[in-house]
Amino acid sequence: MNILQTVSGLVLVCVASLASAQYPNKPIRLVVPYPTGGAPDILARIFSEKANLGQPVVVDNKPGAGGNIGTEIVAKAPNDGYTLEMGTVNTHSINGALYKNMQHDMVKDFAPVSLIAYTPNLLVVNVNLPVKNVQELIAYARANPNKLSYGSPGIGSSIHISGELIQTMTGIKMTHVPYKGRQFAIPDLLGGSIQLMFDNMPSSLPLAREGKLRALGQTGARRSPAAPDVPTIAEQGVPGYDVMSWFAMFAPAGTPKEVVARIHAEALRVFKLPDVQEKLKTLGLDPVLSTPEELGKYQADEVVKWARVVKESGAKAD
Amino acid sequence: MDAFNTLMANLSLGFATAFTLQNLVYCFVGCLLGTLIGVLPGIGPIATIAMLLPATYALPPIAALIMLAGIYYGAQYGGSTTAILVNLPGESSSVVTMLDGYQMARKGRAGAALSVAALGSFIAGCFGTLILAAFAAPLAELAFKFGPAEYFSLMVLGLIGAVVLASGSLIKAIGMIILGLLLGLVGTDVNTGTARFSFGIPELSDGIGFISVAMGVFGFAEIITNVDMKDKRETFTNKVEGLILSWKDFKEAAPAILRGTGIGSLLGILPGGGALLAAFASYTIEKKLGKNPQPPFGQGNIRGVAGPESANNAGAQTSFIPLLTLGIPPNAVMALMVGAMTIHNIQPGPQVMTSNPALFWGMIASMWIGNLMLVILNLPLIGMWVQLLKVPYRILYPAILMFCCIGVFSVNNNSFDVLITVLFGVLGIVFLKLGCEAAPLLLGFILGPMMEENLRRAMLLSRGDPTVFLTRPLSLVMLLMALAMIVIISLPAISKKREETFVEE
Repeated sequence: MNILQTVSGLVLVCVASLASAQYPNKPIRLVVPYPTGGAPDILARIFSEKANLGQPVVVDNKPGAGGNIGTEIVAKAPNDGYTLEMGTVNTHSINGALYKNMQHDMVKDFAPVSLIAYTPNLLVVNVNLPVKNVQELIAYARANPNKLSYGSPGIGSSIHISGELIQTMTGIKMTHVPYKGRQFAIPDLLGGSIQLMFDNMPSSLPLAREGKLRALGQTGARRSPAAPDVPTIAEQGVPGYDVMSWFAMFAPAGTPKEVVARIHAEALRVFKLPDVQEKLKTLGLDPVLSTPEELGKYQADEVVKWARVVKESGAKAD
Repeated sequence: MDAFNTLMANLSLGFATAFTLQNLVYCFVGCLLGTLIGVLPGIGPIATIAMLLPATYALPPIAALIMLAGIYYGAQYGGSTTAILVNLPGESSSVVTMLDGYQMARKGRAGAALSVAALGSFIAGCFGTLILAAFAAPLAELAFKFGPAEYFSLMVLGLIGAVVLASGSLIKAIGMIILGLLLGLVGTDVNTGTARFSFGIPELSDGIGFISVAMGVFGFAEIITNVDMKDKRETFTNKVEGLILSWKDFKEAAPAILRGTGIGSLLGILPGGGALLAAFASYTIEKKLGKNPQPPFGQGNIRGVAGPESANNAGAQTSFIPLLTLGIPPNAVMALMVGAMTIHNIQPGPQVMTSNPALFWGMIASMWIGNLMLVILNLPLIGMWVQLLKVPYRILYPAILMFCCIGVFSVNNNSFDVLITVLFGVLGIVFLKLGCEAAPLLLGFILGPMMEENLRRAMLLSRGDPTVFLTRPLSLVMLLMALAMIVIISLPAISKKREETFVEE
């Protein structure tokens, strides 16, 4: 009996190691917790098209609840390496502080694979607002308390959080006006109903270049290669100000190390291809590939930072 | 004259770009695929484009965008086909087409309804394309005059106008609008992030999907009721007549097409619901114009199809204006187009017109070509679509139900949405038994959340001062029009006449 158990145990171990040695031996599902067409979707589809793992990578869009629906599916999926997620700053560092009833833990339920890309937001103002830089904006807001309104595509978006962060760091007061998407906020910004927005860089930069909006600063700690001529907000007298929208690949927690390493190596190869780099550049995204450990550390820092900002702003969702 | 010359030069550049064999083929394939998928019940333009978008990733940029535009028109026309033939709206604006289109089909005039929809769409499409080419930039500026206060007043006007959509009891219509408003409350509140009526279900935190409600109360309910009627099960098979429009039909429909085109071109520019409001405004105008229409509206009047279909299509054209001139997608379909453009390394925005004129004008030219192809493609196909009605019910019904489920599922890849649809199917049966019409419910459902959002946004921007709705002139005018409509509806003499005119058959 004992021998039988040992033998069957050995056989199981062998089968298991054989299975992981052969990884992948069936199609891999890459969950995108957002609809078709956005930046996470495009990144996932680039990976699906270029990845050479011997098995197809199938992109599966599971939008809803601010990315929580798709993220939860991955959190609960088997940790065998056949379910992956293209996560974002929202799904893996802001949502946990924002949503009261989340059924998963955005840190403990996931194994980091690799950062893929990030992009700063761009602080743009209506051209009729009499300010030319961030210092003038702060002075204007101090002289006219609670007169400025800033738009966002919803509570808890990095665009909203950028506005909350500048208020907590400088003490100015502005009114947050949420919309159901940035495309509804832009006409109001151009028309002057709202005066400013920390919009996604790729979508607002062309409007600023054409003089329809005025760009005051970018939200990252360093200037993005996409707009090296626009100073950061930190440079303009708000030291330490840093907001990035980032995109990263995650697997369910407990996914075998060698499987994570295999996908990480492939992500590294795909996103360093010259044509992929070119594509990311037109999307306004800076490729920032990292090791799984680096992503884990970056995520931990981001979680702490956003928990504080969300708490101070009083924003919540459930 | 200079401006005219520039326009001509631009258009000829556009046509030169679009008229390559390769681009014409992609345009045709797009229209064909769009029509074939859009004609499946429950699969509207959004689902169709989302499904086919990845297929265009491998094409050259201009070809991909031309093909996507073709898919968009095709899906929209395919959606109208299902609305007319089987009473299933594939997207919100088809709800209006359905009112008279389905009744025409029931009376054996499906062919005429489909022809007028195709012709109306084509005329509107031609006109919309011209407007787009000539006035894109100034029209985009016009949209900025519309702030939250103006949107709110427009929605008030729309909701009060929704009453005219009903052909039965006024009280029931108002009840259904209010029920629609309540259903629209489900989901996360934009201003506070609080989930309302979501019962802790994450899928409900984004609200109930339009497709689920529409497929439930129209598709599922209609099919179940028909199965319920054992002996007198409805059939149109014996009386399919006149696929082509008669001269009388044409004379009646032509002015409606022109009016619809005008309204659609204007309202299409507004982000969010422009095309729907256009279709609906056109129906209201047609219904109010001319006494004693024969047959009455709601019972298969050809103007009730011609006007809204033209308005819808003209709106679809001009909704490209904010996208092409500013990079702002005014609706979900255009948001997908932005995704498609960025994937082809084109950042939508004001610079496209100057930095990539071949693409910009090529796309505009291909819009016109797409509309033409749609007519060429669909006029012969109408005969085939009508044949679908001869398919025996034991095959047709399960097929429709299955496609509805696929359509609903494909919006979010979520089976929960299918369950919600079934729930609304049951609710739809109750409505049918009680003689309550579902169209006003859908309008309340769509307009309600937009109205609330804009009301609260306007109040937030005015820092709590409600006079903002009266001090902004555009807003004031629309509120006064709404007031005038209430007066007209509530005048006893007129309301009595209304009951007489619009009582159900």
